[in-house]
Amino acid sequence: MTINLLLSTIILVSFLITIVMAAGSYVAYKLREGRRPALERAAPEGESPYFERILADEP
Amino acid sequence: MTVRDSQLGAALALLTVAVALAVAALLDPARFSPDPDSLALQIGIAFVLTFLVVLVLRYVLLLWLSYLQHIENRGRVHSDAPHPRVTIVVPVYNEEAVIDAAIRSLLALRYPAFDVIIIDDGSTDGTLGRVSALAGIYGTVRVRVLTKVNGGKATALNTGIAASRTPFVLCMDGDSRLHPDTLQYAMRHFADPRVGAVAGNVKVVNRTNLWTRLQALEYVEGLNMARRAQGFLRIVNIIPGPIGVFRREALAAVGGYDTDTFAEDADLTLKLLTAGWHVAYEERAVAYTEAPETYLDLVKQRYRWTRGILQALRKRRAWLRSPRQGLAVWISLVVMLFEAVLWPAMNVVGNLLFTVAALSAGVAGGVFYWWSLLTMLDVAAALYAVGMEGEDLRLVPYSVAYRFFFITMIDVAKLFATAEELVQVRMTWGKLERVGRI
Repeated sequence: MTINLLLSTIILVSFLITIVMAAGSYVAYKLREGRRPALERAAPEGESPYFERILADEP
Repeated sequence: MTVRDSQLGAALALLTVAVALAVAALLDPARFSPDPDSLALQIGIAFVLTFLVVLVLRYVLLLWLSYLQHIENRGRVHSDAPHPRVTIVVPVYNEEAVIDAAIRSLLALRYPAFDVIIIDDGSTDGTLGRVSALAGIYGTVRVRVLTKVNGGKATALNTGIAASRTPFVLCMDGDSRLHPDTLQYAMRHFADPRVGAVAGNVKVVNRTNLWTRLQALEYVEGLNMARRAQGFLRIVNIIPGPIGVFRREALAAVGGYDTDTFAEDADLTLKLLTAGWHVAYEERAVAYTEAPETYLDLVKQRYRWTRGILQALRKRRAWLRSPRQGLAVWISLVVMLFEAVLWPAMNVVGNLLFTVAALSAGVAGGVFYWWSLLTMLDVAAALYAVGMEGEDLRLVPYSVAYRFFFITMIDVAKLFATAEELVQVRMTWGKLERVGRI
């Protein structure tokens, strides 16, 4: 096996490992998020609240 | 066996299969030796060549435009005109670990006229107590604190903008820190009345491990260089959350932040662009931010970014379909779509196809040349971007690892997020836990 082929093999194997690791990490991330309680949030109603819903007082 | 053990076991099993397949393929190339004249192989080679052409063209365009922006921006002179007053809006939600540093960085800003409004978005930790202690008057700077029921970052920003009474507003993240000269450099762009907003330069502050150093390089070489190139054309398509300065009139005209996407910064930027405002980039308006320190947190961030960007783009379908409404905006939208979906797909598929094609054609040794070429391009771009920003040269060697695995991992995560967005999988905000390094 030439050095070129050896390096190519390393790159190829690393690339495939990376793809698998990335996919595995994504699954792990989804599992982790699935176990966390979702952030409770007051759902905004209607259109953007900008200049309509918010009435901040001057101090 | 715990869930974590199961995950690790599954990952290791997958890894073993992948390695076994790769080794088998290399030891027995005949397995992958279809007819060289086969249509599939020809399509594969055509795709790979297209990928290469797009890759080089993308780099050439980015480098050329970003250089023009750099030259133009360096020649921009300081204005003697009075400095308009600016309100800095800081939305915070459970930022107890970092909020002190963020607010103190604001008090050190070298700009004569600004106020600070901190919006506590219903924090459940000690954030409100900490920011309340910071409220007051510091010389000419007034720091106010407002609190509201938790409703998300966009609503917190809207609250701050509504409470501001100045012609310009700087929006930042509660986990960011500003460079003292940020405001004065950003404000120069508003001498042009067509400029509705200025995007700043975000830098990673916690360069403590491989992941964060790779992200530091990514911000310099990937995100900022693209933003710089877009800035030359005044069509920056994402004003980053950690630093964006807005003409209040422009914000009012487009209705502030919407709450229907998970990338409110990208969404607002597109609203400004489609309303006819120019969006500039200022490299010296620097904000420091904490990058995710673990890979899973990084996936979480990129998942939200990708889905949020696609949501923002989906709202502008009509613009995407019709360049006649405004060519510059259309280009900006197409670039956004390209970078969010097409380019990651091309990166992953292009490399996979090249590998398969190289094995099929019995030239597995070519894989090394292929990757060397890509890595050389990345190293060259990293040197260029790092030099242009006066960044730490020690980031450049990371461009090898960047190509070797980082960009592939990020692109795979983006592709999963894209698939989930296409089938409308439910998502939540997913706030990152901060460790307080800013």
